[in-house]
Amino acid sequence: MSIEVKNVIKKFGKFAAVDDLSLKIGTGELVALLGPSGSGKTTLLRIIAGLEFPDQGEVFYGEEEVTDRSAYHRKAGFVFQHYALFQHLSVFENIAFGLRVRPAKHRPAEADIRDRVLELLDRVQLAGYEKRLPSQLSGGQRQRVAFARALAIEPQVLLLDEPFGALDAKVRKELRTWLRSFHDTTHLTSLFVTHDQDEAFEVADRVVVLHQGKIQQDGTPREIRERPANDFVADFLGLYTESAASGI
Amino acid sequence: MAGATTFPVRASRAIPRGAASDPLWVRIILIGIVLVFFSLFLFLPLVVVFHDALLKGLGHFFKSFADPYTQHAIFLTLLTALIAVPLNTLFGLCAAWSITRFQFRGKSLLTSLIDLPLWVSPVIGGLIYVLVFGRQGWLGPWLMENDIRIIFALPGIVLATTFVTFPFVARGLIPLMQAQGFKEEEAALTLGANGWQTFWRVTVPKIRWGLLYGVILCNARAMGEFGAVSVVSGHIRGQTNTMPLQIEILYNEYQFAAAFAVASLLSLLALVTLTLKTYAEWRAARQLSAGTE
Repeated sequence: MSIEVKNVIKKFGKFAAVDDLSLKIGTGELVALLGPSGSGKTTLLRIIAGLEFPDQGEVFYGEEEVTDRSAYHRKAGFVFQHYALFQHLSVFENIAFGLRVRPAKHRPAEADIRDRVLELLDRVQLAGYEKRLPSQLSGGQRQRVAFARALAIEPQVLLLDEPFGALDAKVRKELRTWLRSFHDTTHLTSLFVTHDQDEAFEVADRVVVLHQGKIQQDGTPREIRERPANDFVADFLGLYTESAASGI
Repeated sequence: MAGATTFPVRASRAIPRGAASDPLWVRIILIGIVLVFFSLFLFLPLVVVFHDALLKGLGHFFKSFADPYTQHAIFLTLLTALIAVPLNTLFGLCAAWSITRFQFRGKSLLTSLIDLPLWVSPVIGGLIYVLVFGRQGWLGPWLMENDIRIIFALPGIVLATTFVTFPFVARGLIPLMQAQGFKEEEAALTLGANGWQTFWRVTVPKIRWGLLYGVILCNARAMGEFGAVSVVSGHIRGQTNTMPLQIEILYNEYQFAAAFAVASLLSLLALVTLTLKTYAEWRAARQLSAGTE
């Protein structure tokens, strides 16, 4: 399913976190929102998820306008930077959560829930961990549980807020590779927020650079690296220093 | 939760190194002062209460509770707590939720007002209800006409108790909920849980120890309150006397053993409260450290 935002404005007091921004993400794309902290990338992601509401503008999921619908109705798969796992529930119950809260007539049978959870655990390479509590897992394992939990509800889009931000370098690399191969097999429309350009360029097909709530550049990793659209992009990517160094 | 008992507690509450480097004599003197103070002002009176209660023997101790007025006082105290504590639990949850979750005008004023009953003398807590509902109060004439009794009756006692005890649950929850944030609730929402499901399945388990802590303190205060209740009660034996008021009456009538027997029951409640409170506090701290790791 595609995602589109049209002329979205979101202000916190006088500060415009997202400033008249429009963006379309096609079905099956894997897009990175790249920018420094305070650039509005997380706010934009939360607006798309329905966790924040824009002051102006519209949000579309496919052809359907969802601007006024809350996260509860949109049911996008959302992965938080600090996992946001339910501490009092086992890994199994965390992943099953989205299935168990469904209204009775849409709720799968216990055996089906079990099959689905175990299949997801297998998919995120955590088979055998279903009885653990989140506090008994490492950071990378917790984030994989969070992935599985988001995927359990079979979302049409996957939204990731700095998903690797809290992890150490080695685990981060592993999970990046995992996310890329996951996307290559499922082609689930995905949007992830990051401040790390290596991460954006390595994982995404398309990178959108944000600053002061506006899109500075939108293109493939290669286009952005070879032809930065303006001084901000060049400066943020550290390209000036590089070109200056090679010019000598 | 059974599995949770096996994790190591984080050392976040450990004493900083610098504190242990004070000279030995400083430590001995400071700890000494605390212990002497504690023994004189807390431990000794507690011993006296139980000693005097049992002075005339166990038989006499239990006989004190056979008095119908004393029994009614115990019943009234339990009934009052049974109404006031759930009311304040509900109120405390609403207040903590609004204050930590929403931005609104007058939020800091509301936060300060929650503490009001802790600042003012409990007597004033009782008086305000007399001024509103009493015979000469604002609503007094109307209440008289309709034959509704609030002052010198159970409703007045419940109102005064509720006023005095309303900060405890909210104050226990606000710092905890602020520290925990709302990411789990947001996660539940994106997974399709409605507000009710999110509250019961995510929020309540997250805050349960903090909530229990507040409820325990609220209950202890509700059962032990003297000042506010004294103003609105009217001290009618067998009708509007709660345990603390009954103790005063017994004491004034030189029925020391009976007075101390009832007092020992209240003290026992305090000790149980203290134990439960410490346990709840410890669990709340652990839950918080598990959540923010």
